[in-house]
Amino acid sequence: MQYDLVAVLVFMVVGVALLAFILALSRLLQPRDPNPAKLTTYECGEQPVGPAWIQFNIRFYVMALVFVIFDVEVVFLFPWAVVFQKLGLFAFVEMMVFLGILLVGLAYVWRNGDIEWVKPLPGPAALEDEKGAR
Amino acid sequence: MNQIGFVLLSVLAVGSALSVILQRNPVMSALSLVVTIFSLALAFLSLGSSFVAVVQVIVYAGAVMVLFVFVIMLLDLGRREPFKLTGVGRKILGIAAVAAFLFQISASLSAVGVMGARPPEPLPPGYGTALAIGRSVFTDYVYPFEAASVLLLAAMVGALILAKRRI
Amino acid sequence: MVTLGHYLGLSAVLFAIGVTGVLVRRNALVVFMSIELMLNAANLAFVAFARHRADVGGLVFVFFVLAVAAAEVAVGLAIIIAIYRNRGTVNVDEINLMRW
Repeated sequence: MQYDLVAVLVFMVVGVALLAFILALSRLLQPRDPNPAKLTTYECGEQPVGPAWIQFNIRFYVMALVFVIFDVEVVFLFPWAVVFQKLGLFAFVEMMVFLGILLVGLAYVWRNGDIEWVKPLPGPAALEDEKGAR
Repeated sequence: MNQIGFVLLSVLAVGSALSVILQRNPVMSALSLVVTIFSLALAFLSLGSSFVAVVQVIVYAGAVMVLFVFVIMLLDLGRREPFKLTGVGRKILGIAAVAAFLFQISASLSAVGVMGARPPEPLPPGYGTALAIGRSVFTDYVYPFEAASVLLLAAMVGALILAKRRI
Repeated sequence: MVTLGHYLGLSAVLFAIGVTGVLVRRNALVVFMSIELMLNAANLAFVAFARHRADVGGLVFVFFVLAVAAAEVAVGLAIIIAIYRNRGTVNVDEINLMRW
């Protein structure tokens, strides 16, 4: 284990050192000649509209939420995959129960349409908009 | 792990943890928390628990912090600067409570006498690998494991209902 | 040589910083991050004791703490979103409807 940690440390140190070296080298070699046109966000001349801090859509939260839950599921799947051959049917049934319970959640999310991207929010306001459009 | 490495690790962890609670911008707090999580993963590695270290990075830095940053962006808090700490009186009370807590912890730990304990040097082979953890989860901890899935299901459905409907 | 006490001390300090954040900050999101800090400190104590006793059970507990933390974050952030929708703020000093 001691050896593993040293390997990780060497890896990190070499990574940081390489990054610092490359940045320092490019700073050393680059010609510096700033002018207003070069300092704009898009050098091709496109004007940026509005600030970069914008309010995200609630759907991003739903996506991230589902991702977190299934990420935890995957974390339990790793050790299961490793011991599967040793424990056999029992571990298989256990994991299927686990996955089944979580699949109920996925089915719920799916049925509510929360993982479909283009659908408008199923709130009263959105329904009114749809009626108005017709 | 030698002393110098541990000191570096602790400085990184404590410094970034202080940064979490001292930054004015919540996005910076979240990024500081990612640094804390990585340094704790290194601490887990130094304790011979490589799989737990990897999982720590995958779940916390990879998923939980993404959720945090999404919520910060969702509530449009990233650029605002309105919050100060709570009132002076409560700040003092809070720090006093924390000092009392640290005193309590150190007193009870030194009373138990585990502080100077050295970890057993020859670890059982395979300690901390996914294999050992998997064997333990899927034999000794079957019911907690299944209960965890129910917990995750409840969290998913409950969070969706809270986040999407007007209450 | 680094002893068990070193790790427990680091864990206690991180936990104390988390408690300070909960008590002193007013932004609900930062309060939540402080709670995550406390959970992580508890995880460090679990792993340190597991190493000390050479027992994998402590590591398994870290997994369950992770699952609980993920559930807690999902529901907690959803509550913050709901509060923000109703009250337009995440300042915990202004969300005092249920205070006596």
